[in-house]
Amino acid sequence: MAQTLIHFSGHHHLRLRLVLSILSGKPLKIDKIRSDDKNPGLRDFEISLLRLLEKVTNGTVIEISVTGTALLLKPGIISGGPITHDCPLSRSVGYFLEPIVLLAPFSKKPFQITLKGITTDDQDLSVDLFRTVTLPHLQPFGISDGLELRIKKRGAPPAGGGEVQFLCPVVKQVKTLNFVEPGKIKRIRGIAHAVRVSPQFSNRMIEASRSILNRYIPDIYLYSDVYKGEESGKSPGYALSLLAESTTSVLYCAEAVSQPGVAPEDIALQATRALLAEIEKGGCVDRQHQTLVLLMMVLGSEDVGRCRMGEPTPRTIQFLRDVRSFFGTSFKIAPADPLDKESSQLLYSCYGTGYINANRTLA
Amino acid sequence: AQALTSGSRRRKDWMKLIYSSNLTPEEVVAGKEEQMEDDEDEDVDNEDFFRIKSVAKREEDEEVDRSKERVNSEELKRLEDEEMLDSLRRLFITGGSTQE
Repeated sequence: MAQTLIHFSGHHHLRLRLVLSILSGKPLKIDKIRSDDKNPGLRDFEISLLRLLEKVTNGTVIEISVTGTALLLKPGIISGGPITHDCPLSRSVGYFLEPIVLLAPFSKKPFQITLKGITTDDQDLSVDLFRTVTLPHLQPFGISDGLELRIKKRGAPPAGGGEVQFLCPVVKQVKTLNFVEPGKIKRIRGIAHAVRVSPQFSNRMIEASRSILNRYIPDIYLYSDVYKGEESGKSPGYALSLLAESTTSVLYCAEAVSQPGVAPEDIALQATRALLAEIEKGGCVDRQHQTLVLLMMVLGSEDVGRCRMGEPTPRTIQFLRDVRSFFGTSFKIAPADPLDKESSQLLYSCYGTGYINANRTLA
Repeated sequence: AQALTSGSRRRKDWMKLIYSSNLTPEEVVAGKEEQMEDDEDEDVDNEDFFRIKSVAKREEDEEVDRSKERVNSEELKRLEDEEMLDSLRRLFITGGSTQE
């Protein structure tokens, strides 16, 4: 079957493009990967991601040019099963988990993947938010039973040493989403963790965060997560991850990670304000999960899926363009409240491609 | 990013910006207007099959593929204001329905 080769240039948006290629089964070619850079070619974490994708699939062919500036991916089927992967210390586990979460529901066998490395950093979502926010986002699409992320060990940068296990069930087809009612915030939850530093830091963060949040609602529970000894990784660090849930189960999240020379109180305030900023933007999906929800909408059954969200981030805009290249699906994007001039919320709708997990039927 | 928060509330035509413009995603969000079809490619009629995006223009910063959105520090400053914090009450169940 001669298939069209999808072609891109540059290292940007690599992860989602790889995911789209594997899901759509269309080969992908990327060239000019940092070709003008002092240090050209793929980075170690990108190579590691390609290795990981090779492990979770069967029959995938990946060719990398000698200089590392060009890449050809011929996707195979998503096979899943028990896998262990050591993530390099240049990126956190979240970097690798994000594409895995998108692929796992469409696997031949359920995923049982163990990832080792840094569990929380300031570039990708921490494992706490993956567990409490990202995974529940899959529920409306019919992916819920047996979906789990276990945080076995924490690992702060730079030395890491953390370990998580991700379990995902296999679905035949995802449901159509119809999520347009943001509701009001009814509860706030948070996880403060501190490893290899005084456990008092967690409490200080919780106290500082409450000084802002207590005025809004009584249902606030900020949990101090204690990991000791071996389980706490190799480097010191702490972070506060917050999430707010609305009456219609919308989840907003934000977090802040320890920085040298910054007091835990300030980290907590940063996280809290970021959460409020996210709440203020409104919509049914926060900014970090736009691409996840939009992808599942594209893959949904052949019906019109709708979702209300804030303005797209740069990452989302590129993702929407890439989706059209791979699946030919474009979204209709219209103001959610045409009468309200102040509102910047948008209604995204698309006709699902009726993607069927063909890998599963082979089993 | 300032343009987003400031009062310039002219509606963007997102579909046009996303699907039929050559702006980079960053430029779209920053609210940059597209130079209307006059400049650069005179040879528009050759196949725009591969949709070459203006990646080359972007300087090679080490802008990484990250899933956590950067938090705008201006926006955080704005949220230090007590009145601002109070105005958010409407978004919580306890906030009641302030006059619509």
